[in-house]
Amino acid sequence: MTERSSPRRLVAAALAAAFALPIGVLVVRAFADAWRAPAVIPQRWGLRGLREALSGMALDAFANSLIVAIVVTVAAVALAWPAARVLGERRLRHPALPFLVLALPLLVPSYATGAGLTQWFLRLGLVDALPGLALAHLVIVLPYVTVVLLSAFGPPVTALEEMACSQGLTALQRLRWVTLPAVRPSLAAAVLLGFLVSWSEYGSSLAVGGGRPMLPLVLLPFVRSDPQVASALSLLFLAPAVAALVLAARAARSPL
Amino acid sequence: MLLGGALAGALRTSVTRVEGDGETVTLAAWRMLLRDPAFADAVLFTVRIAVLATAFSAAAALVVALTLRRRGTPLRALAALPVPVPHLLVAVVAVLWLAPGGLAERLLGALPVDLVRDRAGVGIVLVYVYKEAPFLALLLLAAMGRGMLEREEAAAVLGATWWQRLRWVVWPTVRGPLVVGCIVVAAFVLGAFEVPLAVGPNAPLTLAEYAQQATQNDLLAGESLQAAALLVAAAASIVLAVAAVRLAKDPQGD
Repeated sequence: MTERSSPRRLVAAALAAAFALPIGVLVVRAFADAWRAPAVIPQRWGLRGLREALSGMALDAFANSLIVAIVVTVAAVALAWPAARVLGERRLRHPALPFLVLALPLLVPSYATGAGLTQWFLRLGLVDALPGLALAHLVIVLPYVTVVLLSAFGPPVTALEEMACSQGLTALQRLRWVTLPAVRPSLAAAVLLGFLVSWSEYGSSLAVGGGRPMLPLVLLPFVRSDPQVASALSLLFLAPAVAALVLAARAARSPL
Repeated sequence: MLLGGALAGALRTSVTRVEGDGETVTLAAWRMLLRDPAFADAVLFTVRIAVLATAFSAAAALVVALTLRRRGTPLRALAALPVPVPHLLVAVVAVLWLAPGGLAERLLGALPVDLVRDRAGVGIVLVYVYKEAPFLALLLLAAMGRGMLEREEAAAVLGATWWQRLRWVVWPTVRGPLVVGCIVVAAFVLGAFEVPLAVGPNAPLTLAEYAQQATQNDLLAGESLQAAALLVAAAASIVLAVAAVRLAKDPQGD
């Protein structure tokens, strides 16, 4: 028992350390008011980083990023669902071309997408506006959500739905009691991925945002100028990502 | 439709110049781009970083996946922890640890090479490997599944060595997902610039940084230059993707 579990514990410890050590330093640095080299432990603890971080545009940026990420995730799931069904159930005779078109945004730099969209959004009054940012993010998020979601659909789900249909369930009842529970893990993963991609999107936010604060844009300048504020903002940046991960893991297990 | 509009918009901007009240069509931005030595440096630097980051991430992912393929969910979840962490946040962590006077230097005395803002872009590559290797490992573990373990055991019963099992059972199973994952990673690295801005050198620049600076240097002509540079980055992503798919094809056509 001990011999078999030792390598397992070793691997677990190595993996946990590889994640916890680097990220843990963020917490220490965020609350270290003085941490001059070559000291390994901060000379003075305090809340300067947090105060500086929250006194600027960070809260507006946090709210903007959160609103855009939630709206984009919901829109992406709604748009990806039919596409994923058609592709996952192999209803198309030649699926390669639609799939390629769908996946193309993964190959094009998001800054290029944002810069190109800006030309049209300027005419439509969508630059420096949350709807414009949401549309730009949607281009990038949609392929990720579709690719994850299409793995959920296929003959087993179709068979379950046909059985439910033969039992007299309405379309809404089938969706509620059969389809959603059947695709739950993939749906949770797609929602998580969609949220994270939008939440951390930098290039298109910079191009389309026109100066509207988004959290990654607010954070970056501090990386070179003030590591303590950068660390405090990083914790703010990490919190919703961790919350989304926990919620998605729970949603994948429990009934929707 | 939005992506098509974006690419059309970028192409239009790259061949348009605003003069007075009107616009003229010109290839001046493209000519300027192709003559600029800083642009050539940016292309080389960006492609080198993309290839190195993708190759090292793929190799690390393969090692992690092979180590964890018989392990349970808790260990796999631990290995996947960096996946939801944003790239920019990993870059902040890299600066705290690896920059001159950073924690690594304080603990070890001195680092043998510069890892942050170094001209070779080692810091950028390290950030991407830390972030992308777990993502690729997840793809590989999903592809391996129970079926591959059974085939591996059958091959072992028939006398296949470890290397033969890797070559004839594991590799054909993971090749497809690995190539797809590598294409996504390489495309991201080619176009992203929050990590180079945080840990990269002031020169050479990546293609995205070059494009961003173009508008800062010249507000009007810079937009055309920016669009042209970004279209080159997009084209480079697509060329690398096509090359990867062709290279990954089995000689027997699988």
